[in-house]
Amino acid sequence: MSCRYTAARTTAEAVEALVAAKGEAHVIAGGVALVILMNEKLVEPSWLVDVSRIDALHGIDRLSDGTVRIGAAVTHREVAESEIIAEAFPMMSEMAAEIACGRIMNKGTIGGNICLADPQGDPPITMLALDATMRTVGPDGRRDIPVREFFVDLYETALRDDELLQEILIPPMKPGSITAFGKYAARKAMDYTSTISAAVRLIRGAGNGRIEEISLGLGGVGQTPVYSEALEEMLTNVRPSDEVFGRVRERLFAVMEPIEDHLYSANYKRHVAAVTLRRTVMKAFSGTWEGEGVLIR
Amino acid sequence: MTVDVTLNVNGRPHSLSVEPTETVVGILRERLGLTGTHKDCSMGVCGACTVLLDDRPVSSCLLLAPQADGREIRTVEGLERDGRLSPLQQAFLTHGAVQCGYCTPGFLMTATALLEENPKPTRSEIVEAIKGNLCRCTGYKKIIEAVESVTG
Repeated sequence: MSCRYTAARTTAEAVEALVAAKGEAHVIAGGVALVILMNEKLVEPSWLVDVSRIDALHGIDRLSDGTVRIGAAVTHREVAESEIIAEAFPMMSEMAAEIACGRIMNKGTIGGNICLADPQGDPPITMLALDATMRTVGPDGRRDIPVREFFVDLYETALRDDELLQEILIPPMKPGSITAFGKYAARKAMDYTSTISAAVRLIRGAGNGRIEEISLGLGGVGQTPVYSEALEEMLTNVRPSDEVFGRVRERLFAVMEPIEDHLYSANYKRHVAAVTLRRTVMKAFSGTWEGEGVLIR
Repeated sequence: MTVDVTLNVNGRPHSLSVEPTETVVGILRERLGLTGTHKDCSMGVCGACTVLLDDRPVSSCLLLAPQADGREIRTVEGLERDGRLSPLQQAFLTHGAVQCGYCTPGFLMTATALLEENPKPTRSEIVEAIKGNLCRCTGYKKIIEAVESVTG
C-alpha cells in the first residue's frame, strides 16, 4: 500500500496537510510508538505528516512570567538533560530519565508521548500534577487546552484531526512547592502492563507537619492518565497518616477502573496504585522513599 | 508515493527512492547489503538493530527512512579503521563477549556511543547505557567487562 509523506517545515505546512488528509493522516515526530504499530500492521498509514523538523516544535525556554515552554518535538533525552526543567520541575527530570533506555529517549518526544495518551505514560501524569497547558495549532489558529481536559478516552485526546500539538506550557509552581515522581513495576524491565506511576506536587504548612495543598496525576489506573480532585481534597490540609492514606486507598478502590490483563487484576493494580501514591506523596513530603520493591525512585 | 532521500551511511552518501514507511534497518540490510545490523523484535525493545544517528544510538527498526534523510548513520560495518577492528570490537573478542553473536552489533554501537560521549564510564554507567540491549544468551558479564577494558 502506498503512503503519502509530508516533511513539514512549518506548523502551517503540517496543518495544511492535516486539513487535506481529512482525518486520514498520522502525525509522526519521534516515531517510537507509531512505527511499532506500523511494524505490527496495526496501523497502515495512508499519509504521514512528519513534524520532527519544524523549528516551532523544538526548544525548551523559560518565558518572562516564569512559564516553561517545551516544544512538542523535544526528545525525552532533551527533557532529562534540561537545566531549565531540572531547576523548575525536578520531578520532570526524574520522570524523563526513567522513561526508557537511551535509544528510545534519543528519538521519542514529549509531545508524541502526550498525544498518544497512553494511560500508563509518564509525561501525561507529570503534566496533570503541574497543571500544564497544551497549545495546539490548527486551521483556525491556536488553541490552549488545559491538560485536565486533554485526555478524553483510551488513546484519545481533545486534539482535533486537523490540529497539531505545538508546545507545552507549564506555569511556575507556587512558592514552597515540592515535587516527586514515583513508579512501580512488578519486574524492572519489559513489564509494561504492571506499571503504576504517580506524580505529585505539594506544599507543606503548619511547620511542615501538614500537606496544605496538593495536585497529582496517576498512571496505569484507568482508561486515561488520571487526576482526581476527590483524592486531592482528601490529601489537602491534613497531616499524612495511616488513617488518611487508608481513606485514599478506599477511594482508589471505589472509583479507579484499571485495565485488567492476564497477569494483573484490577484489584492488584488498585493496591499497587494506593501504595505507589502513598510512597510518592511521602517522598515529596519528607524527602524519603519508604519501601523497597522494584524501585523506581 | 516514493520519497527521494540521501542516507549518509558510514560516511558514504546513498541516494535512494524509498516508500515513506520503509525503515532504515530494512534499507541497510536489503538495499545496501549491510547485514551487520540485525533485525529482531521490530518494536524497539531488543536493541539488536541499534545504529548511531548523528552519533546517538537509535532503533533502526523504528526509524523511517525519510526521517533519516540527510543525517549521518553509523553501523557496525563502520567501526573498523583501515581494515582493523576498533579497540572495542577487539575487546569483545578478547573477553569472549560474543556467544551466538546476534545481539553483538547492537551492543557495539550502544557502547561505542557511550565511550565517545564519556571515555571513562564507571561500571554502573556502562550497565545503565546498555540496559536497552538484550542478550538472550545472557552473556552480560563479559560484555560489561569488555567495555570496561577499553575505558582507559
